[in-house]
Amino acid sequence: MERPLARQTADRDTAPRPRRRLRRGPGLRWVVAGAILAVVASACGAARPAASVAAAKVLPRSGSFLGCMVTDTGGIDDRSFNASSWQGMLAAHAADHAIAVKYLQSTSASDYVPNITAFERQHCGIIVTVGFLMATATLSAAKADHTQKFATVDYTYPQMSNLLGIHYQTDQDAFLGGYLAAAMSKSGVVGTFGGIDIPTVTIYMTGFVAGVRYYDLHNHAHVKVLGWTPSKSNPLNGTGLFTGSFTSQADGRIDATTLMHDGADIIFPVAGSVGLGAAAAIKAAGPPNYMEWVDTDGCISAPQYCSIFITSVTKGIVASVKAAVLAAAHGTFRGGNYNGTLANNGVGLSPFHDFANKIPQSVQRELQVLRAGIIRGTISVNPNRYPAG
Amino acid sequence: MSATAWTATASGARARGRHTWLGVFTAALGGLTAFAFCLHVGGGVTATLNMNSQPAAAIPLVVLPVRLTCAVLAAVSAAAGAAILRRQGGRGTYGLLTLGLVAFTLAFVIWAARGTEVSFEGLLASTLIDSIPLMFGALSGVMCERSGVINIAIEGQFLGGAFLGAMIGSLTGDLWLGMVAGAAGGAALGGLLAVLCLRYQADQIIVGIVIVTFATGVTSFLDLQVLTPNQATLNSPQVFGNIAVPVLDRIPLLGPILFDQNIFLYLALALLATIQVGLFHTRWGLRVRAVGEHPRAADTVGISVLFIRYRNVILGGAIGGLGGAALSIGSTGEFTSDMSAGLGFVALAAMIFGRWSPLWAATACLLFGFADSLQSNLAVLNVPIASPFLLMAPYIAVILAVAGLVGRVRPPGADGQPYRRE
Repeated sequence: MERPLARQTADRDTAPRPRRRLRRGPGLRWVVAGAILAVVASACGAARPAASVAAAKVLPRSGSFLGCMVTDTGGIDDRSFNASSWQGMLAAHAADHAIAVKYLQSTSASDYVPNITAFERQHCGIIVTVGFLMATATLSAAKADHTQKFATVDYTYPQMSNLLGIHYQTDQDAFLGGYLAAAMSKSGVVGTFGGIDIPTVTIYMTGFVAGVRYYDLHNHAHVKVLGWTPSKSNPLNGTGLFTGSFTSQADGRIDATTLMHDGADIIFPVAGSVGLGAAAAIKAAGPPNYMEWVDTDGCISAPQYCSIFITSVTKGIVASVKAAVLAAAHGTFRGGNYNGTLANNGVGLSPFHDFANKIPQSVQRELQVLRAGIIRGTISVNPNRYPAG
Repeated sequence: MSATAWTATASGARARGRHTWLGVFTAALGGLTAFAFCLHVGGGVTATLNMNSQPAAAIPLVVLPVRLTCAVLAAVSAAAGAAILRRQGGRGTYGLLTLGLVAFTLAFVIWAARGTEVSFEGLLASTLIDSIPLMFGALSGVMCERSGVINIAIEGQFLGGAFLGAMIGSLTGDLWLGMVAGAAGGAALGGLLAVLCLRYQADQIIVGIVIVTFATGVTSFLDLQVLTPNQATLNSPQVFGNIAVPVLDRIPLLGPILFDQNIFLYLALALLATIQVGLFHTRWGLRVRAVGEHPRAADTVGISVLFIRYRNVILGGAIGGLGGAALSIGSTGEFTSDMSAGLGFVALAAMIFGRWSPLWAATACLLFGFADSLQSNLAVLNVPIASPFLLMAPYIAVILAVAGLVGRVRPPGADGQPYRRE
């Protein structure tokens, strides 16, 4: 209310000033020109040229086939699903040098459609979009142009010839992660939190809860899970703790701190790079507080925190993205859906690295048995099959 | 004369309407407490508040019967509302309103913790941690605006400070250098603001927004091009550890919260005290306020308006940069693009809510920090509220605070107006 008024008076006062200022010297012109240049350069830098520069640096554009990828808001370096997807693209290039790859970053949801459109104009052989949130934009683009091949990481689509959904049954390996966390917890409380309340995130949390409940049932224990309570009707829905983004590490730190204050000593963040904030808090708190990393092997993607990663609950994004790009380049691409499971090694726990000797052999053996049971279908990963602790 | 009298009467009537509204609101909170939290809970249900940071309990757990406690708190809110209505103005209105709000919030927490345990100490501790960057941001705003320059660019100063703090802290391996670099980064952006607003008298709000966009873009660009390929050398700083103040950190409940914290909290509190005392009790502060309220008068008595404004804006920028450094080397130990995630604007709101006073602005920061901390604690307690709504809590608090509770605030008289000599 007050400010516009103040500004009006200011404008009136200074109306004749700018001309005199300008005449005084070239200063203003330079500042304005510099500012405009910087803003333009930086605005572009955030999205477009940066991408092509980075891609061009890695890869010659000599290839006859162009594989293109659009990241989610987490960005290319989220040590998580965007980073893995890009590694999959690079792996496809490494396997067949005729494939050139490039990416565009989305800094917000409003970038999804423009980025996809930009790639369509560049005649990409396949456009890989990363993340559940980009599914709607990808689906409408695929419907609009049946000759353009698309693949989306983390989504299941209705059957279309030019669209591949890549989906992971991460509740299976998160179940193992939950069991391991419960077995390793000294306080009898473990915690989880998510980035955004969407199925690709909550499927991890739900599997984790199921694993803890299974541990309690079969070991007469009472380990509690904080941060996620799956609903009775559909375990992918529920109430729980979310940071609300895949970008704000400060929120990850706060959520991990909150969970530790409430007694949790092993925490499983399902929030991409936001988990790094949790890692900072857990490392600062010191043993016996540890965590499990998500999506990728944390000891490789965030090695500075390897000493606090009990394990990582991973999904094989690299392999499946690589396979999709190679298939598109070699003419064997088929639309539909790929479902990564423990059985086809599409999901799984990472090696234990620093914890290989700290996790009791008996627990490691139990995890092998559980894994086989889940693959056979004799062990359910639905938390509602087990009594809630 | 008569015009003045008329204005006074009109504002008096407005104030009375406002007090009625606030009274009804506070009383309604009491009703809501009774209705939502008391009625549905069985008589024997208790909530446990844990006041300890360590598992070894120094303070016994506080076990409260939920229904009885809620009823008492509902009565407190209702009584506060009735008192506001009866007094119709007077000095105690906002105190009573605060009392009503506190009672309501406490009832909510106790209801959410029914049948289980909540770490009350954790709730307060994360409130404080959440509000550290906000305090720096709000103080940055106070420094600039008290001297008459609007600082919308706090978000940009955060990003600049976080970026340089992480990079220099990582490159040199010296966190203190990182802190200095963060402050320098903020000061540089403050200097840009000062030059554009003071030398070229550009519109201060537009310049502020441009600086935010500029800082966002440049730091994201450099993050991608420079930091990411050299993550190990350029973006892996250590993090400042906690420093326990001897003796004081043993105080039950408040000790670990206030006196076993990051250097950035102590720095924020020291700055807060310095600026509060400086602004209102020193010659420097008198001059700053004179320049911010009535630059012509200040100029007449020989104070250099431009010099004071340049100095304050650059200092304010440096304080904003420290807030950014608190986000990277004081918290998560690396820079990620857009990591301030809008906190700069929350800090701006805190400054306005705090009426351009350092102390009240810091209080407002605590309030926003509490809203954020409360939402994550409520989520852990499994409150049946969808997470997007819980995540809105801090922003709803901002809107209610700035739009509803503050009402009419008066910025420094010359805030946002360029000064030129006749």
